[in-house]
Order: sequence, then C-alpha cells, then structure tokens
Amino acid sequence: MKRTIALFSALLSLALLLALAACSSGPEAGKTDWRTKDFAEVEQAARGTTVRWYMYGGWEHVNRWVDNYVAGELKKRYDITLVRVPMDAPEFVNKLLTEKSADKDVGVIDLLWINGENFRNARQADALWGPYADRLPNYGKYVDKKLATRDFGFPVDGYETPYGQAQFVYEYDTARTVEPPATFEALLAWVKEHPGRFTYPQPPDFTGSAFIRQAFYALTGGHQQYMKGFDQQLFDANAPKLWAYLNEMKPFLWEAGRSYPQSSAALDTLFARGEVDLDMSYHPLHAQSKILEGAYPKTVRSYPFRDGSLFNLHFVAIPFNAPNKPGAMVAANFILSPECQLSKLEPSNWGDYPGIDVGKLPPDMREAFDAVDLGEASMSPAKLAPYAVPEIPADYLEALEAGWEAHVLH
Amino acid sequence: MSARGTLLKFSPLLAPFLLLFVGGLALAVAQSFGLWLPFPYEGGRLDAYRALLQPYLLASIGFSVYVALASAAASVGIGAVLSYGVWRLPRRLETAAVVYKVPLILPHIAVAFIILVFWTKSGFVASVGHHLGLVDTPADFPSVLYSGNGLGMILAYVYKEVPFVVILCHAALKRLDPRLVQTAHMFGARETHVFRAAVLPHLRNSLHTAFLILFLYTFGAFDIPFLLGESTPGMLSIEVYNLYFRKQLADRPTAMAVLVLMLLFSAVFIVLYTKVAARLSSRERKL
Repeated sequence: MKRTIALFSALLSLALLLALAACSSGPEAGKTDWRTKDFAEVEQAARGTTVRWYMYGGWEHVNRWVDNYVAGELKKRYDITLVRVPMDAPEFVNKLLTEKSADKDVGVIDLLWINGENFRNARQADALWGPYADRLPNYGKYVDKKLATRDFGFPVDGYETPYGQAQFVYEYDTARTVEPPATFEALLAWVKEHPGRFTYPQPPDFTGSAFIRQAFYALTGGHQQYMKGFDQQLFDANAPKLWAYLNEMKPFLWEAGRSYPQSSAALDTLFARGEVDLDMSYHPLHAQSKILEGAYPKTVRSYPFRDGSLFNLHFVAIPFNAPNKPGAMVAANFILSPECQLSKLEPSNWGDYPGIDVGKLPPDMREAFDAVDLGEASMSPAKLAPYAVPEIPADYLEALEAGWEAHVLH
Repeated sequence: MSARGTLLKFSPLLAPFLLLFVGGLALAVAQSFGLWLPFPYEGGRLDAYRALLQPYLLASIGFSVYVALASAAASVGIGAVLSYGVWRLPRRLETAAVVYKVPLILPHIAVAFIILVFWTKSGFVASVGHHLGLVDTPADFPSVLYSGNGLGMILAYVYKEVPFVVILCHAALKRLDPRLVQTAHMFGARETHVFRAAVLPHLRNSLHTAFLILFLYTFGAFDIPFLLGESTPGMLSIEVYNLYFRKQLADRPTAMAVLVLMLLFSAVFIVLYTKVAARLSSRERKL
C-alpha cells in the first residue's frame, strides 16, 4: 500500500513537471516571413484569427473604446477577434525579456501599446519583430515620417508604428486662480507667492519626469542643443541650473517639498481636493475628461507654458514571438486609418490626438478632424502646436532622473 | 519508512516548491550578481551590492526598519491591552465587541485610503479642526501624512494590525483561568499590576509571534507605502519597485540585491529575536 502511494506521488510530480515543460513549448508558428509578403496576402492570412493586444488598462474610457470601436471594426472589416489584455508596459516588456532569454519562440502577445524607454528596453534586448512599418499601406499614406523616426530620441527603425500623440499641458481652476504662470521664470515667482500650492509628481513618474525635462529646456537655452544625442560635458554644464532652480522652489512646494506625490494620479487628487492650485498632464484632454467624470469643476482650463511644451508620439509594436503576426499587422494598419484616428480624437471616445499627419488627409476628412469638439477645457492641436518641443534622447532623460534624485530629492 | 519514501510521497508538494520558490530565489540571487539577466549587462559581479551603500538606500533601509519596528510595537502593545479589555467584558458585550474585527477584513489598500480620507490636509480631521476654530484654514492643520516621519504609514498599520493581535491574544486568554485575576484583585493588586504580573506572562508567546509576523510583513509590504509613503527616505519596497520597473534596465541587479538583502535581514532578525525572547523568558523563570 505504502509503495503504491509513493509510486502514485512520484507519477503525479512527474506529470506536474511535464505539464510545466509543456507550457514552454507550443506548436511551431508558421515560418512565413510576413515582411516580404504583399499586404493583400497578409490580410488574407489574418482573416478569422485572434489578436491579443497587451496595453495599459488603467483608463476606463480607453478600454471601452478599444473593446467597442476597435474590436468591432476589426471584426467587421477583417473578421479578426481582438482580445484586450490590460498590463502596464514595463511588465509586458519584462515578460518579453524573460521569454527572449528563455528562447520561447511562440509567445502569447500579438500587439503592444508602447513608447519611450519601454520601447528602447525591448529593442535593446531584441525583443520586437520588424522592421514592419513600411509594409503597412496606411503608414506610407498618412504618417509624418520625420516625426516618427525617433521615439524619445531612440531610432524607431520601423519596429513600431504610431498610435497617437500627446502634448504636455498645465491645468488650473479659473474660479481659484486668475492668472496662472505660463513660463518657468513666472512659475518660480508664483510658487514663492503661493507657498504650498504647487508640486510635481516625483520622477521617475512619467509626468513628473516630463516636467523637469521641460524646465531643463527652458532654463538652459532650448531643446535644439540636446537633439544630437547625449553629451556628458553639455549635461554637466547645464544641469546645475536646473537643480538650482528646483531647489530654490523646493521649500515653497506642497508639504514644504519634504514629500512629492508618487504619481500623476496622486497630483490629480491633490488638485481636485484643492490642496494645490496647478495640475499638469501629458494628455491635452485630461482636464476635459476629468470634468466629464465629475472629478474637476467645469471652470478648469488647460494651457501650455510659452517656453516649451513637450510632445511625443505613442506607438504599437509587435513582439519577436507574436503568434499572429499577420493579424497584428492588419490591426496596426487599421489603427493608422483616418477613420480610427478620427474616432479616437472624439472626446467622448478617448480624445487622443492623432498619430497621423492630418495635413496629408483628403479635404473632407481634414474638415471632419477640425469639426471635432474638444470641449472648453482643452486647446486644439493647432493652438498647442506653436509651443511644442520634441522629447529629449533617453540618455538625457535618465541622467536627469538620476540627477534629480541626487541633487534635489536627497 | 525510509527517508527516501517520505521524500517521494512529498514530491507533489516539493517539486513545485523547489521549482517556483527556490528557483525564483536562485534567480534573484543570480541576477543580483549580474548573472542570468535577459539583457546585456556591463556591470561587475558586486556592483549591485556596492550600489546598496549609496546614502539614500542606507537611509531607506533604516527608515523601513524604523517604520516596521514602530508599527509592530504599537500594534502589539495596544492589541495586548485591548484583548485584556475584551476578555474582561461581560459575556453579552463580548459578542458586541466583534466590531474590533472590522479592519481584519479590510484590505491594506482600503485602510490606506481610510487614513488618506481622514488625515490629509484637505481631509476629515483637518475640516473638523477648521470648523472647531482650531486652525484658520484646513490647510493650516499640522501635517500628519507626508511629513517625513512615517506617521501616516504607522497609523495605517496600527489600525489594520491591532485586531490581528487581539485575536491571537484572545485565543490565549481563553485558556487563562479568570479566578487568577479575581484572586489578584481580592488581594488588592492594582489593575496595572494584575496586567503585568498575571496577564502579560500568559500572553508572552502570542505577543512574540504577533510581533515577528507584523514586523516582517511591514518591513517588506508595498501597498500602504505606495499610497502613504514619503519621498525621502522611501520605504524599501517602493525603492525596489522604482529600481526594477521605473529606472534603467541596468538598475535591475540592484533591485535584486535589495531583495536578497531584505530576505537575509528577515532571516537573521527571526533567529536573533527568537534567541533573545527565549533568553528573556528563561531568565524570568529563574527569578
């Protein structure tokens, strides 16, 4: 009897090990190189398949739009079933890196929503599939190639295709604040006059990090000098001006600068509760959607700083081991279509600025884009454009984040 | 039965344990030395551990220990007194006292939100203070949260963990003969003396267990520091999260080194604590 139990146990554990092993090797995906095929063939192969899209899931309205509009259209047009999987970008990049190091050829992710350092991390580990961008007809027709060649200074090389655009804005309540500061010089004076009423999210938070980058541009003579790539001497010469500025501001910040909000959502809450008078966001329609949610009063308005407001593109990409590459390509192509971008701009859907160049569209489509009502709290892409400055190369970004910790936080 | 037979029988449990837990641990240790990383890493073998000596990480270690010690000690202290109080209640009130168990079923993150709602400068307590005329505006209310001393987190932990201590102690007190306390009272012992001489020794084991569990949990937990933590020094769990997810890939070995250090610290702490506790109680017995 004892022996049977022992034998049974041994068998069971063997089965468990086998099951674990089975997880890591699936059926070999098609060896077809879809980069060399005609797009009509890609569309044909995509028919009836499932595309699993891993994307940040923290925005209810975006999830709704993807589940209803994008999934609905893909089903209708291409008979593709879209499955949205909510996951933060650093986590799915991490998953990809692990799969890469384990040589797992067939993964579970078909499409990613990605940009910036996550893209760079994935590319550096060679965890993305491509180059595929120029294989998509809509990329050729509608994308501003010059804008889309770099993602936070890192070369895109066709390994991701645009999804949308964001630009940095500040937000204030007209009922509380009459004249908000619109340059970094004015901000310092304003913060000193209103102690405790301003703060920024703690870098490396995305929004807080963008805030100090803009200050860096504004205080050291503009963005042009940094576009050529990282220059340690230039950084060492200029960064102290930024630290001095932020340290001068520090004692007048919320909680006397002893603590910073840990995320932009935390700053939003402080603003909504009236603990601070200025809010900031990398999403130009952020204030409008907060008003629609009822979190902000209707009197909140957004505006850019006159000495520079960062903008960037965000993208979709295909993992090296995506099981359904044709499906992912068709989805990425559809995302670049004017119809999809127009639906995305509609504030009741999402309100994300177009990732394509509206100037390249036929006149009737261009009018449709102009006719979208973005809400009173927002400024149109055309009004924001004059203040737009490009993102800094990622090496600067990291040096700034590390430097902020060393010189301002600690 | 032979040892091998036992091992074989346990294998359905042991195999996943070895694979997942020990495997994960091995991976963490290896990555802290810059090995088995899924990306090219140029640092030396010990660079990650050298990075632990940066002043801000040292401060963060000290701060985490302080928050864990303060919350565990306060929870155990309050919990012990409270459990004695509940035990002394008449039977019909004892059922009403289940109210104290409410925080037990709340997730930590919910407790963090409760603390936020009550104690921020725009929160409930500040508003009440303002309406009572204690301060001119709610914003003048002294900062309880985010003031650099971890008070917000300690409050949250104490609120959440006291009921846990009470439950552990209550189980122990059920075995305490009430006549012992009655006799002490009859001989004219004061309440504090009864508590110290009769009740506390009876609770000692439960309190030690509770303290260890709470200390170790608080030392490594993430959710409450994420909402109530301060920027500098930050709690270790948040620093690890930042190092791993929000900074560069090259910082990941440092994150792993912090995790390995936390594990070692916890193990050493358990050993030292149980040794000291045992020595203390044996000395008491000799008296």
